[in-house]
Amino acid sequence: MAVARSRSKLVLDIGSYVVLIFLAFICIAPIVWTFLTSIKLEEDIVTRNMIYIPTRITFEHYVNLWNQSGYPVLVVNSLITTSVTVLICMLTGTIAAYSFSRFHFRGRTQLMLAYLIVRMFPAVLMIVPLFIVMRQVGLLDSSIGLAIAYTSFLLPLFVWMLKGFFDAAPKELESAARIDGTTRLGAMFRIVIPIARNGLLATAVFVGIAAWNEYLFALMLTTSQGSRTWPVGLQLMVGEFQLPWGMLAAGGIISILPVIVLFAFVQRAMVAGITAGAVKG
Amino acid sequence: MTSNPQSIMASSRPLSTWDRINPARYIGELSETRFWMYLLLLPSALLIMGVVIYPTLYGFQLSFREMRLNRPDLGTDWVLLKHYQRMLSDQIFWISLRNTAVWVTAAVTIEFSVGLIAALALNRNLPGTKVLAVFILLPFFLPNVVAGHMWALMLDPRLGVINDLLVKVGLLGGYKAWFADPSTAMAAAIIVEAWHSFPFFTLLLLAGLKGIPTDLYKAADIDGAGSISQLRLITLPMLKTVIAAAVILRVIGLVNSPDLLLILTSGGPGRSTQVLSLYAFQTAYKDFNFGYAGALSVIMFILLMMFAWVYVRLSKVNQD
Repeated sequence: MAVARSRSKLVLDIGSYVVLIFLAFICIAPIVWTFLTSIKLEEDIVTRNMIYIPTRITFEHYVNLWNQSGYPVLVVNSLITTSVTVLICMLTGTIAAYSFSRFHFRGRTQLMLAYLIVRMFPAVLMIVPLFIVMRQVGLLDSSIGLAIAYTSFLLPLFVWMLKGFFDAAPKELESAARIDGTTRLGAMFRIVIPIARNGLLATAVFVGIAAWNEYLFALMLTTSQGSRTWPVGLQLMVGEFQLPWGMLAAGGIISILPVIVLFAFVQRAMVAGITAGAVKG
Repeated sequence: MTSNPQSIMASSRPLSTWDRINPARYIGELSETRFWMYLLLLPSALLIMGVVIYPTLYGFQLSFREMRLNRPDLGTDWVLLKHYQRMLSDQIFWISLRNTAVWVTAAVTIEFSVGLIAALALNRNLPGTKVLAVFILLPFFLPNVVAGHMWALMLDPRLGVINDLLVKVGLLGGYKAWFADPSTAMAAAIIVEAWHSFPFFTLLLLAGLKGIPTDLYKAADIDGAGSISQLRLITLPMLKTVIAAAVILRVIGLVNSPDLLLILTSGGPGRSTQVLSLYAFQTAYKDFNFGYAGALSVIMFILLMMFAWVYVRLSKVNQD
């Protein structure tokens, strides 16, 4: 009996490794292949016999993309939009998450549910009115306008995720500070937010990645080089100039590099936050 | 003990000029009122009203009006249910509806199955699997645009590595244009979508698995229950709430966002990958027919709400 059980455990362990290694391969293979394509010579990309490991390496696709296509402008625009989005979320969302986490008041449950449900509204239904309104107030085709539009789906997410981190922060220190005469304001900024700073960082990074990656709102709400973000710009290059695969691959790698680096750094806290918010919600 | 009398003395001391104009002191005092929690919510609530609630209501009323940016001569009059009536006889709408059902069902089924398998394997906490977990979760954080192009590159009819591998192992006679063939375009797009989003299920299910008390499995071991029956009788029932939450969130995402299909196929070839959200977006973005786009989105929203309601009822989450 015991032998059978330990044997079945061994089989499951081996099975787990096989499954996980296979899935990890599937997950990173497209990224690796895109990277390999981006450092191949153009004539090595389209060949009669597929070249798997490039024998000749070049960085000309990166150089060309950076110098010829206006890609730096797109990246700068994206950086501005992403920063403004994160800033708005942090300024308005942090205090909201704190309120939900620390106070019990009339309407709390309903309000929290409302912050959850607004995420279900179809983007397309909001995009058209946002387009009309942004045009009226002169924010169409501006980084600020786009960032404000992004808060429509990222602010509720930010509040929910951060609330989970605040919930996990111990309440004793705060109570001690309150007894010593600190105001609620002081307790929030000097005690609770510093304790939950890793959670705040993870939440901000998650929202930042989502804003950096966003495509649909940017496509509708930006119309010129002045505010166009990289996903829209890259997609337009594919359509307009029949962008060669090497450059397209280089653009993809440049654009996901910050995402991969940030993900690697705060992956653990971010994962904890996403699941805490979602499971409780 | 000594700090208390001191702070009382400090607060009874006459206010200096700086104290009087110091904004931090004002807000500090405000924080002691009973409206404080509402004040904290005010900025985000106002913002959400402005960028979510108002546009959504605006969108609802647009669906009853004529609004075409490229045809200002038509005006913006109320047309009551004209757009909804047009939908009934609109072939593309019905095709999109059917494609949406296929797209969502197939993608969620694959993503859930693969996500569950990955979560179960990761939950065994075997040495070395933490690194694998990072790789497995990564696709979920990558942008749609890049995910789309990476797969378009690998499935390309001239230089696609997947074509090459399939030909080499003999599964395929020659390179295939996956996205140009109406019979394979949807399937190929679903594979890309599943690759991109199955980690979402892994994430949530893994969190759910960690919440199951290990005693249950020990008891089942003593009773002689095998792995399969433990999965069926303990794991899945205990995960019911998490599964329901994950499925609903993912269905919402799949129905609402046309991004990936817009990048991969734009709904083609023919109408074989046209889904409702994509049709609504193109109606707004290409035809500038904002009224009809609004009506399509409203129907999509209503169908989504109905699905969520029925699903929650059927999975009996509330009864726990």
